[in-house]
Amino acid sequence: MDKILKLWMKYHAVFLSGLYGTLWISAVTILLGTALGVLIALMRMGRIKPVRILAEAYIELLRGTPILLQLYFFWIGLPKVFPALELTDTQCIVTALAVNASAYISEIIRAGINAVDQGQWEAARSIGLSDIHVMTRVIFPQAVKNILPALGNELISTIKGTSLASVFFVGELMTSYKSVQSATFLALQSLTIVGVIYFLLNFTLSRLLGLLERRLTVSD
Amino acid sequence: MTDEILRTENLVKNFGDLEVLKGISATIRRGEVVSVIGPSGGGKSTFLRCLNLLETPTSGRVYFEGQDITRQKAKICAYRRRIGMVFQNFNVFPNMTVLENITLAPVLEKKTPREQARQEAMALLERVGLAEKADEYPRKLSGGQKQRLSIVRALAMRPEMMLFDEPTSALDPEMVKEVLSVIGDLARNGMTIVIVTHEMAFAREVSDRVLFICDGVIKESGSPEAIFNCPHHPSTIRFLSMVL
Repeated sequence: MDKILKLWMKYHAVFLSGLYGTLWISAVTILLGTALGVLIALMRMGRIKPVRILAEAYIELLRGTPILLQLYFFWIGLPKVFPALELTDTQCIVTALAVNASAYISEIIRAGINAVDQGQWEAARSIGLSDIHVMTRVIFPQAVKNILPALGNELISTIKGTSLASVFFVGELMTSYKSVQSATFLALQSLTIVGVIYFLLNFTLSRLLGLLERRLTVSD
Repeated sequence: MTDEILRTENLVKNFGDLEVLKGISATIRRGEVVSVIGPSGGGKSTFLRCLNLLETPTSGRVYFEGQDITRQKAKICAYRRRIGMVFQNFNVFPNMTVLENITLAPVLEKKTPREQARQEAMALLERVGLAEKADEYPRKLSGGQKQRLSIVRALAMRPEMMLFDEPTSALDPEMVKEVLSVIGDLARNGMTIVIVTHEMAFAREVSDRVLFICDGVIKESGSPEAIFNCPHHPSTIRFLSMVL
C-alpha cells in the first residue's frame, strides 16, 4: 500500500496522461464507430441485395476475428495501402478500433430500429411521408431509446478494448503501466493503480448510463 | 365510368406459398362508402392494404384516378398523401404530441406553413372533441381517443379517400361508438370510404355497397339490404348466420 502511494506520488503525471489517452481514443473510437455503424446498419437493412451481403460480411468478419489481430492488420496494412498519408501508429490503431466498434454498433442500431413497432412504419408511410422522413422523424427517434443504453455498454467495452493499444505503445493507460513498470520494476503496484483508474472510470460511467436509461423509460 | 376514384384489376397477393388474394377486381366510385366484410383470414385486410400499396401485390393492378399506381416508376408517397388510412392498432406516433402527430405530414410533405397547419389541426381536433388534448402525448389518451387522433392525422392531408382497417376491433366496447360516430360523420359528408369491419350494424347503416370477401375472392357484393337481407352465396349465408 505504501509503495503504491509512493508510486502514485512520483508517477501520477504518467498515469494521468495515460488516462487522457484512453479517454480521447475511446471518444474518437465511439464517434467514428457510430458514424460508420449507422452507415453499415443502413446498408444491412437496405433493399439492394449485394450491398446487404457486403454489410453482413463486414460485420461477421469483424466479429469473428480477434480484435488484437485486427489491430496488427491495420497497423501493418494501412501504411502500406495509404503510404501518402504517412499514418502514425496511433492513427492506425484508432482506425482499427473504430472499424471494430462499428460492427458491433451497427448491430445495436439495427436491433434498436427493428424493435420499433411495424405499425409505426406503416402509419408513417400511409400519411405519405418520404422514406427519409419516415426514418428521421418517426422511426429513429423511437429507436434511440433502445439504442442509447446498448451504446453505453459498447462505450465501456471500448474503453477496456483500448488497452490493447499498449501492444503498439500508443499512449493510453495500459501503456503508462508499461512505462512505469519498466522504470521501477514495480509491476503489481503500477497494475493496481491502472486497474483502479479503469474501474473508477467504468463504474462511474455505468452508473451514469443507468440514470440515463431510467430517464428514457420514464417518458414511455 | 367517369366517377371512378380507385379500381383494382385481378389483384393477387401471395405470402410465400399462401395465396391470400386470388384475383380481386373492384371499383370504388367517388363519394361511395364501401364496407368489406368476411371471415378472418379471408383477405379483407390484405385487400385494403394493397389499395395504398402497404402490401405490394404479387400481380394485378391498382388504378387511382385512372393512373396505374402499381407501375414501376409510380411515386407511391404522392398517392398515399391522397389516400388516408386508419389502422386497427391506431399506430399514433408516441414520440410526438397530439398536435405534432397531425401537423407532421402536412408541414413536411405539403409544405403547409406551420401556423396554418396548426390551425387546421386544431379545427380537426375540435371536430372530434380532442381539442383540449392537443399538447398531450398519446400515452395519456384512451383507445378511443387514440383512434380519433389517428383519423384526424389522416384527414390533415385532405385525402380524397379514406381506408379503415378494422378501426374498432382493438377498442373497449364503450369506445366503439365514439369512433364509429366520427367515421359516420365523414361518410355523411361525402368522403369516399373503404372500411374493413366486423360492425355489421354500422356497415348496414352507412354503406352504399358491401363486399363479402372470403378465401381471397369477392364472393358477393351489393347493397347492404341485398347482402344482409337476402344473401345468395352459401359462404355469405354461413358467415352472416354466425355473426348476426
